[in-house]
Amino acid sequence: MADLSIDLAGIKSPNPFWLASAPPTNTGYQVQRAFEAGWGGAVWKTLGEPVINTSSRFAAVHFNGQRVAGFNNIELITDRPLEVNLKEIYETKKRFPNHAIIASLMVEPKQEKWHEIVKRVEAVGVDGLELNFGCPHGMAERGMGAASGQQPDLVQAQTTWVKEVATTPVIVKLTPNITDITVVARHAVKGGADAISLINTINSLAGVDIHSWNTIPNVGGQGAHGGYCGPAVKPIALSMVAECARDRGVGVPISGIGGISTWQDVVEFMLMGSTGIQVCTAVMHHGFRIVEEMIDGLNNYLDDKGLASVTELIGKSVPKYSNWGDLDLNYKVVARINEDNCINCNKCHIACEDASHQCIDMLTNSDGKAILQVREEDCVGCNLCSIVCPADGAIDMVALDSGVAPMTWNQRNQVISGLNGSYSEAEVV
Amino acid sequence: MSAFEEFDQERRAIDTLLEQGYQVIRIAEDLDGARVTFTHGGPGQSPVELLLLTADARKHVTTVVFAGRKPAAPIETVI
Repeated sequence: MADLSIDLAGIKSPNPFWLASAPPTNTGYQVQRAFEAGWGGAVWKTLGEPVINTSSRFAAVHFNGQRVAGFNNIELITDRPLEVNLKEIYETKKRFPNHAIIASLMVEPKQEKWHEIVKRVEAVGVDGLELNFGCPHGMAERGMGAASGQQPDLVQAQTTWVKEVATTPVIVKLTPNITDITVVARHAVKGGADAISLINTINSLAGVDIHSWNTIPNVGGQGAHGGYCGPAVKPIALSMVAECARDRGVGVPISGIGGISTWQDVVEFMLMGSTGIQVCTAVMHHGFRIVEEMIDGLNNYLDDKGLASVTELIGKSVPKYSNWGDLDLNYKVVARINEDNCINCNKCHIACEDASHQCIDMLTNSDGKAILQVREEDCVGCNLCSIVCPADGAIDMVALDSGVAPMTWNQRNQVISGLNGSYSEAEVV
Repeated sequence: MSAFEEFDQERRAIDTLLEQGYQVIRIAEDLDGARVTFTHGGPGQSPVELLLLTADARKHVTTVVFAGRKPAAPIETVI
């Protein structure tokens, strides 16, 4: 059995599974039950001046029978006094000394405010701090959360203030509600961040009730934007993790967050540069015990791969994540339809005919049976047919050896520039 | 005509010129495609220009020039 323990910027944890700062980490009761279930760490629900929350806070997007494809919330940070939370953190740490407890913090962007909360929180024995510069709703209107996280200079300044007094590792949690997340990540590092975590939730409105015309959720008929998370945001989160992981100006460990629901998601985030991961929505949907399956699945996967430690996964796919301009234009894949598995639903033909390159023909074979066949010379390898195909194994995307040397868009531009004596177009990055 | 046939026509035009000893000396790309200028070292030979419309032909002609060059220094990934 592989070693699942991790060390994220000095924060040690028996496994990479942490609960994200959110409703499941609101109290000592919850966090202790989570640790009993197998979670290796927990980021305590954000501490700060206690708020007052609204009633009706959550909403979900269900898609084609899948419950909670996406999740939206307008809940704010803790509504309990700091001292109450600190007492429970102390008790939890005492009971689970080998588990990681990280305190998520959010205060006004003032040096003395940060100094005060850091000192008080570290005094009860947390293993690290996570600065919440990402919460998109409620707190942002007060100049905190995402409002701070969208200003790189403010992220840097506040991180610096925290580092002036912090004795434990400092993780800066980033908002995705920004054009280029690496800019903020680099400023966090300039401020002294020991690690970054991403992503926080994405600005969202879950829906509008077409009968009452109220927003979903709504508070007495009035709505406000919330934060979106859950499986639907995973590709966005993974992309942002990857961008930070490959940015040489970032260069600190990453705690990956965003739609992680299964052990396979965990593997993906770690391969793309995360040292550990955080989960919220999947726990809100299924409860703490989903971690049991995640641990078993990860263990089996590592054994199958012959890996002794989960840390061997970290960043292994990062070198495979590049810029569009550096992709090989001469690489070619085509679709091939396996008649044995094809159910002749014609979805591939329709998709190709209406939305791609019209290269799947509806034919009749010598036995009089209707078949679908790809004209490979016209196929651009877009994958659409295999994406819409409902039958496993009916369409394979096959790489062809064109016998032509690889050439990227950027190399092509160099060729043209060399011929013409000047740059023809800007390099694509 | 299928997309492949359109490409194949343009590719044959390119390859025929190259087989005749022409060389690509200029590629000008604009909204209408790529205008590729070929020259021949022989006496009395005028430059020839092809307007390439298909993506695969525009890729093919640059691949031919690229393959004929010495390996360039690795391009640093800009991040």
